[in-house]
Amino acid sequence: MDVKILGTGCARCRRLEELTREVATEVGATIEVDHVTDMKRILEYPISGTPALVVKGEVKCSGRMPRKEEIAGWLTSSA
Amino acid sequence: MNWIAFAERLLQGGIASLGSYLAAHVLLCLVPAFFIAGGLAALVPKESVTRYLGWDAPRYVAYPAAVMAGSTLAVCSCTIVPLFAGIYRKGAGLGPAMTFLFFAPAGNILALAYTGAAIGSDFAIARVILSLVFGIGIGMIMATLFHGDDLARAAQRDDGFVGDGRIARRTWWLLGAMLALLVFGTLKVSMLLESHASVSLPIAGTDRLERALFDLAPYDPAKGEEGVTLHGAFLIVLLLAIAPAAWKGLTEVDVGYNRWTWVALGLVAATLLVAALRIVPGADQLIVEFPGKFFGVVAALGVIAYLARTRFEAYEVQQWLWESWRFVKQIFPILVVGVFAVGMVRPLIRPEWIEAVAGTNSLLANLAGVAFGIVMYFPTLVEVPVAKMFQSLGMHPGPLIAYLMADPELSLQSILMTIAIIGRSKTFAYVALVAVFSTLAGLTFGAWVDGTGVWLLGGYLLAFIAILSVALYAMNHRALQKA
Repeated sequence: MDVKILGTGCARCRRLEELTREVATEVGATIEVDHVTDMKRILEYPISGTPALVVKGEVKCSGRMPRKEEIAGWLTSSA
Repeated sequence: MNWIAFAERLLQGGIASLGSYLAAHVLLCLVPAFFIAGGLAALVPKESVTRYLGWDAPRYVAYPAAVMAGSTLAVCSCTIVPLFAGIYRKGAGLGPAMTFLFFAPAGNILALAYTGAAIGSDFAIARVILSLVFGIGIGMIMATLFHGDDLARAAQRDDGFVGDGRIARRTWWLLGAMLALLVFGTLKVSMLLESHASVSLPIAGTDRLERALFDLAPYDPAKGEEGVTLHGAFLIVLLLAIAPAAWKGLTEVDVGYNRWTWVALGLVAATLLVAALRIVPGADQLIVEFPGKFFGVVAALGVIAYLARTRFEAYEVQQWLWESWRFVKQIFPILVVGVFAVGMVRPLIRPEWIEAVAGTNSLLANLAGVAFGIVMYFPTLVEVPVAKMFQSLGMHPGPLIAYLMADPELSLQSILMTIAIIGRSKTFAYVALVAVFSTLAGLTFGAWVDGTGVWLLGGYLLAFIAILSVALYAMNHRALQKA
């Protein structure tokens, strides 16, 4: 599954990547994480802020940290 | 010259400077400020502000919203850059984006609390008012200068930037209680400073301990320096104890509490309470006085604990604590090193030099303040101890404000980043405007300090706002005609 983390490399964005990987192992989803730090590419997505989580090309959340349960929901429903 | 003695003098300057900053409640004001910044980052949804910054937002909504975004959403450059790019590319356009970029480094809660405690509340107030007026001014001038480009971008319209978030009422209450905590801790009014009760503890020899501390970190009251008192030393010990507890308890608090979380929070509360006490050492007893602000701090802490336990979900509180600790980890080490370095440099600068260059509120002095701000780069908030040093060396308040305005706005790093997003010509126009407006800000504040009437200066400021309003009206009019 293609997962993108959008963020300029700040602490929140790194934490989102960490949490996403953790959740993926917990729910048994195989994901390829692409951490997008290039501002130009980030702005191609309709987001209101970083960090943002994109699952299979769809923006799931932006400008905030999602809960682990939320991430689990997105990863399992898009599988 | 004896190099060892020289190095020792520098080192001692650094230690004394750091000690007095830690002890004299200057860095302590940052404790509640860090929690406020964390609360703003975790509990205020970005959409609550950015929905006013959408493509269709009228100018009179977009500019105030850009200022709001600057003061509430942005503390470090990792928030400033994406929001700036977002406002420019997908939202209200160049003008509000520039206003945001100008206001964010000077108008956020950490910068204001720190300026107020270190240099004086008049400087903090001047900083916020002047950056507000001139930030909006620069944004509008930029929007007028590059009006054509803004229209050309209309083709790439994108509504993804706009969201629909609201700030919950409980969040307002929590932020209000923390702001009260900050005010009780730092405001110097007699009601808060008068003692209402006191206890004397039978501990002998505390006065000798304090004298030993003064010998360890010598200070000169004539230069506006403060020594490390016994009280201060106790606070430093508490702050040092918080560090490991917070490291263990708050680094992964976003997925759950542990025992260290409570230790860290308990120590933070204890630090704030001890800071509000007054401790008088004596030969055979230690007197602890309870001034009014102690009771204010107790009440504010009680309200915050109550709200956090009953009105917020555990998840929200955890996010809040995580964000607060993240800010501390990111900013506090830089500040400690910065304060230490400033203390080391301080003895090398002769007051005569500063007085010669910037001792009066002249145009040249203000330009010098701005030039220094542009050439030198200090990381987040370190501009404040630097300004404090200049103040103690005899710099006039006018050039000091000019420096304080220009330094966080303009550095090589921020100029490069701005070029990447908006291009070369717009960036150079912005840099020129900031230099001009910072000089104006310094001259205005300096004139006020020198005794020019508030009404006269207020009149100038009003005239400035009036001219801007006319420009705004004309801009809106032109935009409507084109549409």
